[in-house]
Order: sequence, then C-alpha cells, then structure tokens
Amino acid sequence: MSKPKIGIFGLTSCAGDQLAILNCEDELLDIVGAVDIKSFIMAQSELKAVQDQMEDSRFDLALVEGAVVTDEDEKMLKKIRDNTKLLIAIGTCAAWGGIPASRNDLEREELYQIVYGRREDLFGCHKPRPLRDFVQVDFSLLGCPIEKEEILRAFSSLLHEDVPVLPTFPVCFECKLNENLCIFKEKDDLCHGSVTLAGCGARCPSHGVPCRGCRGPVDEANIPSVYHLMKEKGYPVADVERALRTFTYNAEIPQ
Amino acid sequence: MGHSELTGELIPRHLNVRVIAKDNLETFLGGLREFGEVFGPVEKERGAYIYAQLTDVKNVVQDAQRTVLPPKKYLYPQKEELFRFSTQEGYRKPESVDKGRKILFGVHPCDIHGLSILDKVFAGRYHEPRYFDRRDNLIIIGMNCLPDERCFCYSMGTDWVEKGFDLFLTELEDSYFVKIGTSCGEDLVHAQAELFRPVTDEDIQLYKERVNERNKMFVNRVELANLPQILELEYESEVWEELGRKCLSCGACSAVCPTCYCYEVYDVLDLNVETGSRIRRWDACLFKDFAKVAGGHNFREERSTRVKHRFYHKQVTFVEEFGRPSCVGCGRCVTQCPAGINLIDVFKEIRGEKVVHKSAR
Repeated sequence: MSKPKIGIFGLTSCAGDQLAILNCEDELLDIVGAVDIKSFIMAQSELKAVQDQMEDSRFDLALVEGAVVTDEDEKMLKKIRDNTKLLIAIGTCAAWGGIPASRNDLEREELYQIVYGRREDLFGCHKPRPLRDFVQVDFSLLGCPIEKEEILRAFSSLLHEDVPVLPTFPVCFECKLNENLCIFKEKDDLCHGSVTLAGCGARCPSHGVPCRGCRGPVDEANIPSVYHLMKEKGYPVADVERALRTFTYNAEIPQ
Repeated sequence: MGHSELTGELIPRHLNVRVIAKDNLETFLGGLREFGEVFGPVEKERGAYIYAQLTDVKNVVQDAQRTVLPPKKYLYPQKEELFRFSTQEGYRKPESVDKGRKILFGVHPCDIHGLSILDKVFAGRYHEPRYFDRRDNLIIIGMNCLPDERCFCYSMGTDWVEKGFDLFLTELEDSYFVKIGTSCGEDLVHAQAELFRPVTDEDIQLYKERVNERNKMFVNRVELANLPQILELEYESEVWEELGRKCLSCGACSAVCPTCYCYEVYDVLDLNVETGSRIRRWDACLFKDFAKVAGGHNFREERSTRVKHRFYHKQVTFVEEFGRPSCVGCGRCVTQCPAGINLIDVFKEIRGEKVVHKSAR
C-alpha cells in the first residue's frame, strides 16, 4: 500500500496548529513513516511556493489551519479543496473563525482606524470566516491549538479509513474527572466549560483558569440556560456574550 | 456478637470494638503501610476534598466533607486500557489489573453503600473481573461523618452501615470509637494494638449520645415511600421539560455519582496500522450521543428525556431490579451541578410539595 499523500497548510492564523503537529516530537518519525508529507511549509527548509507544490501533487488528505480573511486565503483554500480527497480543518480559526473573527461585530474600516489609524495603504481583508463557508470540510479538529492526542488519533484512524471518535461532550465532565472545584459555581468566575467541547482534559480549569471556550461550542450547547445562570450571578449580558464569542463569533448563539 | 469472616466463629461483642486516641490516628495510618498503599481524604483546594494516596499521613483530613469523586475511581478508573490487539497476534488476553492492596481511610457510610451497590451491578449478569480484582484488595476504614445541608442519606437509608467496612470510626471527644467489621480489620488493629484501648462504659455512653445527636442533624428529607409509583404517574410531567431547559448535559452529576457505572468503549489505533488499544472511559446518560445507535437513531434525542432517564433509572428501574434506589443521598450531584439542579427539590416538586427556588448557589 502506498503511503497517503498529505499536505499541511495555513491560512490567516498564528500557525499554532501546524506547530502543534511539529510538537509531536516523539511520534514525528512514526508519522512520516506512515504518511507521505508532500507539503508542509512550516517544516520545510526549501521554500517552494505552495501553489507550485500543489501543481506537483494531489493529496489524499489536506490539513488546513486558519480563517479565511483575504482573497488569497479563499483562492488558496479552493485550490487545496480541488487537490485533495479529504479536507480537515485544524484549529478553532479554521472551524469557527477563531480569535481573528472575535470582532466581526465591527466593520473592517472601523477596526482599521482603531488598530492602524487613518491610512490609505491598507491590505485588503474581509471579516474572518471559517473554512466551511467556502468549501466542504470533512472533519474538524478543535482547539487553540489542537491537541496532540487528537492529531495522532485522527492520523491513525484515517490510516484505517475511519474517522476518529473524539469527545462530543462538554469540558465540565473532564473537569470533574480531574476533581476540580467548579470555577463557575464555587468561585463565581465566567467559566465556559459547560458549553465548550471537551478533549483538552479540562486543562485550564485544572490549573485554576476558567475555560474560555477555545475548542468551540459543544453540540447542543445550552446557551439560554448559561445566560440565565450568568445573569443570576450578576454578569452584564454584554460581557457574557462577548466572552462566548471570543473564539466562535460565527457560531449561532441562541438567546 | 460480631462475625469473623476468617474463622466463621462468633466473637464476643466487647472484642469487636476499641478506642483509639485522635493523637494516635496518624501513627496508625502510617503503620497501615505494612498492609498496602494508604489512601484518604485530603484537601485539594479550599473546600474541595479528594481521595488521594497518603504519602504523608499528616495531609489526611479526618473530618473531610464529601470528596469530589467517590471511591469508585479506585475500582473502576475514569479511563483505562482494557487490552491491546494486533493484526499479527490478534486479541491479547488482558493482563490482570493491578492487584496491589489498597487501604481506603475515611469512607463515609453513603459511600460504603455506594460500593455495595456497585458490587451488585458488577457482579450481575455480566460479571466484571477487573472490578473485583481491585475490590478484593480494597480495605475500607469507614468514618462516621456529620451531615451538611446537601446530605440526604438519612432518607435513602444510607446514613448508617452495619457491614461493608473492615473498620469503622465514630468520633467521641478526643478519640474515635472503632468498630471492627472483619477479621482483616481485626488484623489491622492487632498489628498496632498498643495504639488502641478497650472500650469503657463511659465510651459507650458517649458513643450513643454522639449517634443520637448525629441523627438529629439531618435537615433534608426525601420521602421515599411510593416514590417509584409517583414517578411513573408523573412521567409526562412538565417538570422534566423544565429540567431539560435547565440542564447543560455536562455529565458532572454522573461523574461524581457513587453508583453511576456507565462506560464507553473505543479503540485507539497506533500509527503503524498494526496495533492498537481498547479503551474504556466513564460515560454519562446526559450526553447527547449516549443513546445514539448505528444508523443515527437516538433513543433520547431530547435533553429532557435524558434528564428524566437519569432520575428514573436511579429511583424506579433500579428499584425494580435490585430492590432499592441506586441513589445513596451523598449530595454530590447537588453540589456539583453547574446549573443548580437539586434532586431533593425535583422530588418535592414531583410529589406536589411546595419548593422554594433558590439561586444556582
């Protein structure tokens, strides 16, 4: 059996998810033993344009990080989609828009002025959007950044021509498995564990830091109930909403 | 009269109780290491107690409130590898689990009942050897705790234990009244006999007073009589819809429940496409995927049906199968539910009693 051809790409993002793959240090040799990595700009010493690399090969699997922010992002994403059998969104930017989309409530012109002042020579960019707004996404690995365990499980399952079975429940459950005091209930802090997808092992709450929702909403997130509870605790609605939208502006937040 | 498991002989009553001074307890716990690894409640963070190995017996909290997770984690861990498999060798017979002897100190009566309920479940139609490999090597030293506002063990008939422990301690003034439950417990006492003294008439008087005082401290009452029937009658009650709107499906209640035993099994494959592991982890019936089957059908798609299922399993179907509810009234679910769902209030509401709704805290 020939090894599956893989491409790892980044759109507008911090590149943290690609780095998370490189951080699988003990398993890197196993990974390259199992798959044929045809494009991974971040790990290549020879810098060949991604466009050219795509001319050379078709991929069995493309892992794409980042949000779609520029016309170039969109063009590249569509090109990747045309050249791959499977496309996996890696990281919360690719899946939900992530941090870049957190101020999608403002128009770009307004944001330009806040960040750069009045200038004319601005690069063209649009409101950041997730990959699935442009192309078909076959699977997503969530997180900011993605989890090493989930990367490895995704690779090994896909090699078996199967999709990985990953948690579909909220962070709270993993938090209880770690026997933490509930930050939301007992410490009155704005913790989003109850509406956020598990898989991180409740890393932040286990270190006393409230969950900020970086893995995106869990399926069936009960936002109205959380809103109600947070209002009861005296948090201004705007704070709650802003916090919920930090990583997943493009998610639907039922009122 | 007590009953010695080892010899089957009856031993005189005055021999199966002792008294240990509080000052001697840490020495006693330290000495228990001769018998195995010693575990007990420690304060993980302010107000959160957990069972942990007592590498330093000074860390033990003798009057700890309920731990976040119940003792089930030592018999049935949150996540474990069941076996390895490979395309070459096939399924490899699972190696026996760690059979090292563990001594668990400070187990409250509700948790002792919780263990005996899990025993029934895992010894049932599908005998679970991994559980009993560990169970047979678990020594239980119980502790007669004092209830707080979330305990309702008194209503569940689990505030007191007659068996299920090797030793059981009740606080007197500056000492503990020690009931010896098994021959193993007797061995533990004999090994450090110098730390114990016989029981005096004064101790017995004080012990009785303590037990009576404790009985009066239970403020929560859940009326169990007819509860299964009332729940059946109220199957279509609006209460379940309301709970479904409140519940966050986070599964915290199941994780911390001393008698929740559901698990998920899945395979984690290695990158070599040759080998892999079968993993078991705790699951929860509140999760959306819990009752989802092949083909995508979900028997409990709506959140309200899942919340309802949890209550009915604890209080109706478990009673039908095992003759008692699987709830032991430990108050953990009440303590941990981020949405503030309070089981005691739910039952009152179902019974048509007036409930004063408190905030989430």
